[in-house]
Amino acid sequence: MKLVEGVTDNVTVVEAYGRLDSTTSKELGDRLTKLVQSGRSSILVDLQNIAYISSAGFRVLLIANRATAEKQGKLALCGVIGEVRRLFEIGSFTDEFLICPSQAEGIGKLKP
Amino acid sequence: MAAGPSAGSGTGRSASTEIRIANRIAEMERVVELVDSFGADHQLSNEVMVALNVSLDEILNNIISYAYEDTSDHDIVVRIELRDGSVEVVVADDGKPFNPLLAADPDLAAKPRQVGGVGLHFVRKLTDQLEYARRDGINELRFRKKLRES
Repeated sequence: MKLVEGVTDNVTVVEAYGRLDSTTSKELGDRLTKLVQSGRSSILVDLQNIAYISSAGFRVLLIANRATAEKQGKLALCGVIGEVRRLFEIGSFTDEFLICPSQAEGIGKLKP
Repeated sequence: MAAGPSAGSGTGRSASTEIRIANRIAEMERVVELVDSFGADHQLSNEVMVALNVSLDEILNNIISYAYEDTSDHDIVVRIELRDGSVEVVVADDGKPFNPLLAADPDLAAKPRQVGGVGLHFVRKLTDQLEYARRDGINELRFRKKLRES
């Protein structure tokens, strides 16, 4: 799992690379928890370069989503395409997240 | 680690490979590597690869997390076979008896949303056939994924 982090218009963008499964999800979960705890209130996770997400990956995304909401912050996802989108649909996770069509639109939605 | 010899071509091709891992989450990485190399060797589609990898992630995570009541090391065997236009995967473990086919469907509309149960839901939706048997103290879960939608 590779994570590339940047900030645009006060929105923290985390690009994830690889797969989100039992062995890799903790890394993304830990990173998102750290961001929320350090007071970042607008977080965009780009999943465009993720090959697949198993339930272990959905678990860390749901936890991060709740953690940001509890701190009156916002979390959004983008790059939900192809097989990853299909997995969101199979698991009925599409309505659980703010999903934006692109990074630019996600930043537009989230910027304070 | 390499796949076995291929015979014939098209849907008639066949090959198999097997791996034995210890009951630790970190060991699952070795299964992903095996699936990836098997997929590359046999030019499996992205859709088939995702189905295999996600299903194995769910099944192995379940076994490693819940199947053992002791703290000793256990072996889990994963066998992957290509034949008759399908990939067939068998996962064998010596944990306590568990038939995933009898597990309840998750409540996908629950608020707040729970993740429990979604793993097996993924396996059911991503595979074409799922069978369970308990033989001589071994759980044997077998699933099949067609190479092409028919």
